[in-house]
Amino acid sequence: MEVEVASSAVSASREISANQRPVTNRSPAKTRRGDPYLDIAAYDPEADLMVLNLGPQHPSTHGVFRLKLYLDGELIVKAVPFCGYLHRGVEKLCEKLTYVQLVPIFDKNDYVSPMMNEQSLVMAFESLLGVEVPRRARYLRTLLAELQRIASHLLWFGAFAMDLGGALGGGSTLFMYCFRERELILDVFEELTGCRFHYNTHMIGGNRHDVPAGWAAKVHSAIDIIEHRLIEYENYLTTNRIYLDRTCGVGVVDADLAMELGITGPILRAAGIDHDLRRDAPYHAYDELEVRVTTDIAGDCEARTRVRLAEIRESVRLVRLMIDGIPEGPLGSRKPIKTNLAEKSERGHAYAAVESPRGELGIYVIGGGANRGASPYRLKIRSPSLHALSCLPYVLPGHVVSDAVAILGSVDPIMGEVDR
Amino acid sequence: MSVAGLAMAVDVIELLTQRFSANSEPDGPPLVAPEHHLELARTLRDEFGYRIFGFVIASHHPATTKDGEKVDRVRVVYGLRTVGSHTRLASWQLEVDVGTSVPSLVGLFAGADWQEREQYDLVGIRFEGHPDLRRLMLPEDWKGHPLRKDYAIDTEVAPWR
Amino acid sequence: MSPYLRALIYSLVIITLLLTVTAWSIWFERKFSGRMQSRVGPTFYGPFGLLQPVVDGLKLLQKEFLIPESADRALFVLAPPLTVILALGTAAVVPFGSEVVAADLDVGVLYILALGSLTTVPVWIAGWASNNKYSLLGGMRAVAQGISYEIPLALAALVPVILAGSMSLTDIVNYQIQHGWFVFWPPGPGFLAFLFFLPASLAEANRIPFDIPEAESELIAGVTTEYTGMGFGLLYLAEYLHTLIVSAVASALFFGGWDGPLLPGLHWMVAKTLVLFAGIFAIRWSLVRFRSDQLMGICWRYLVPIGLGLVMVSAIWVQLAKASAQ
Repeated sequence: MEVEVASSAVSASREISANQRPVTNRSPAKTRRGDPYLDIAAYDPEADLMVLNLGPQHPSTHGVFRLKLYLDGELIVKAVPFCGYLHRGVEKLCEKLTYVQLVPIFDKNDYVSPMMNEQSLVMAFESLLGVEVPRRARYLRTLLAELQRIASHLLWFGAFAMDLGGALGGGSTLFMYCFRERELILDVFEELTGCRFHYNTHMIGGNRHDVPAGWAAKVHSAIDIIEHRLIEYENYLTTNRIYLDRTCGVGVVDADLAMELGITGPILRAAGIDHDLRRDAPYHAYDELEVRVTTDIAGDCEARTRVRLAEIRESVRLVRLMIDGIPEGPLGSRKPIKTNLAEKSERGHAYAAVESPRGELGIYVIGGGANRGASPYRLKIRSPSLHALSCLPYVLPGHVVSDAVAILGSVDPIMGEVDR
Repeated sequence: MSVAGLAMAVDVIELLTQRFSANSEPDGPPLVAPEHHLELARTLRDEFGYRIFGFVIASHHPATTKDGEKVDRVRVVYGLRTVGSHTRLASWQLEVDVGTSVPSLVGLFAGADWQEREQYDLVGIRFEGHPDLRRLMLPEDWKGHPLRKDYAIDTEVAPWR
Repeated sequence: MSPYLRALIYSLVIITLLLTVTAWSIWFERKFSGRMQSRVGPTFYGPFGLLQPVVDGLKLLQKEFLIPESADRALFVLAPPLTVILALGTAAVVPFGSEVVAADLDVGVLYILALGSLTTVPVWIAGWASNNKYSLLGGMRAVAQGISYEIPLALAALVPVILAGSMSLTDIVNYQIQHGWFVFWPPGPGFLAFLFFLPASLAEANRIPFDIPEAESELIAGVTTEYTGMGFGLLYLAEYLHTLIVSAVASALFFGGWDGPLLPGLHWMVAKTLVLFAGIFAIRWSLVRFRSDQLMGICWRYLVPIGLGLVMVSAIWVQLAKASAQ
């Protein structure tokens, strides 16, 4: 779609830095930890606690997810999450399929940011099989990862607004706007890979699809539009008094709890810890880029929103830096794959982690499995959403039911990744 | 090419080999005896700053001969991560017979709760000291542990319910 | 003609017109919200999708009205028609023109407030009778919100009453025709009273940002969870109807009713009502919703004290006006 973007606004926005919204003087995060193993019978025999299932079918549980809440009136006393409704046995499937066949399956784990899944998977396999990746492919992977991060955070922002405001109300307005912007990025991906979703564009040793002519210009225009409109959406929601009431001080996850639970990503950064795998354990081409990491200290829903919006801006900046300078060279270090059994490995361990929009997405692979070593022996997906979801029994008690939905939204679980 | 792989810091390798008498494996993290497991985790967390809970992976290794009998073994790999700049992983393995339980890290890391439950669910290894060891991914009344090597995808237990 | 016959005819006409306008307000809302969200809204049925409400109504009519087994049958069936009846009853005293009113009661404003507060009861009945925890939560929240927001509503409605010296809506409009619309004159209390009247009536009508009783993202469909078919249709219709009547009342109380610069008459009243109605839609599709305790906090801590102050200010104004007139 064609949109007139005021050139002065665009050039002014190029100066926007990652830490545009400085951290306010809110107090550092301190979770009032609920007890996940609270014995309800012993809690208070007089209190007639109501059990409410924010059940698998619910407009706002971000996928099939059951949250059993013990309520004292509207106050949550104990929260017991049940996941596994979307368990498809991916890890078992990994023992049957070969390395070559596994890449398209992994798109479906974190189905909102498939590039990250594919990238962590092929990185783990390349580490295991000892395959080098040429510079052009690494650079392209970085670029695709940042574009995917923007798309994922836009979707999250729209869904979060919907959780707060309802599908028949103000939330859905922002949802529509964010999805409209996300379509720009999906169009760019479709230009490149042929698919809007579930790209299957990574292969062991490089990328499969090369950059078509005119792609850089399309990415530029998409990024310009997104950056320009992001300011409007931020003002729409994050300065709204109702939104601030709903999110300030709600769902505080402090640094200690986050680290103990293994939560990384925006939740940890919103709690005050400066930890980002792109900068601290660089992979792809991140060692050539300077990634500026935003942190906030309050650890509540509003802090997490701020961190994610700042990440969008940072990704926009990184894409602008990278898009015009993709290095020349081969796109893959292997010849095109002809058979499923092309890659084989002896017994060995490898672990590769990427910074997905939700945190550290890691793939741990033990090689030397079936099909004469062409399949992994065991493959484990260290999904960030599973760790993030495990904070719910600690964070929810003491809040009301409305807050439960807001907290669940700001924790941003993707059930495909939680359950695999 | 830089990949966040399993390369560990020198001081951690020293710690593992000297204080906890770990055997280095040729193709994986060092092997630690289950008795030292809790102490190792505590030392790494408190003295070395590995405060982010990484991962727990259990894998089933069927029928290796040990003392003349065929026993199935389960190997569990734990991983912890440091915070902030130059973040590193520390990982180690434990190996037990099927049926023996491994000490649980729930007292030290709350994140071990769900991760260990998931490994119990899928591989069947029990964790001693875990407050609430029940299935995570599969329904409560599921029989069998799918990620065992003798659990074929198309057995009578596995079909669509 | 006999006053009873006249009242009957006018009531039937007003009811018919109101129901028709409400039905097409569904079309209007979907088009309006669609344009706000950069999409088109219904276009399929009829030119510009104008037959959409007809199709929606037919769809709801042909669905089975399921009564859950453990629900309270009598109350479950009673609640939807009761909401519509009470909402329509409120429209009886609203003057659409200088002679176009179904029942020009002397205590018009009191009647509206009374029936308006009664509209909370069927919502609660629906929540209770469904025997569903989500509905129960929705119903409880509806009661808490409804009874809390009646007070700022009453206080805000008292300001035109004090300024005009009468509770009859026709008298209030006539006073505004002579002295200027209350929203502009006297400067201050009238405008503030309107600013209080609008959110308070939105809270009575359970519209966003006060739609906690049917908070769709938290409580599935809140109070209306168990209703299907025409029961759901009636509850939905009642909500739109209540909103429409609230806009009519607001335009009568604050915006001068049928007064207008060129040709005062029925059309001005209709126009003002529809403008307010569209404004309420715009609010609905822009804002996220409150949490119920924050909603109560706003009512009791801000609206009630300031509302009391407004009433005092308008009383002082009336006394000063009388004193200066002598």
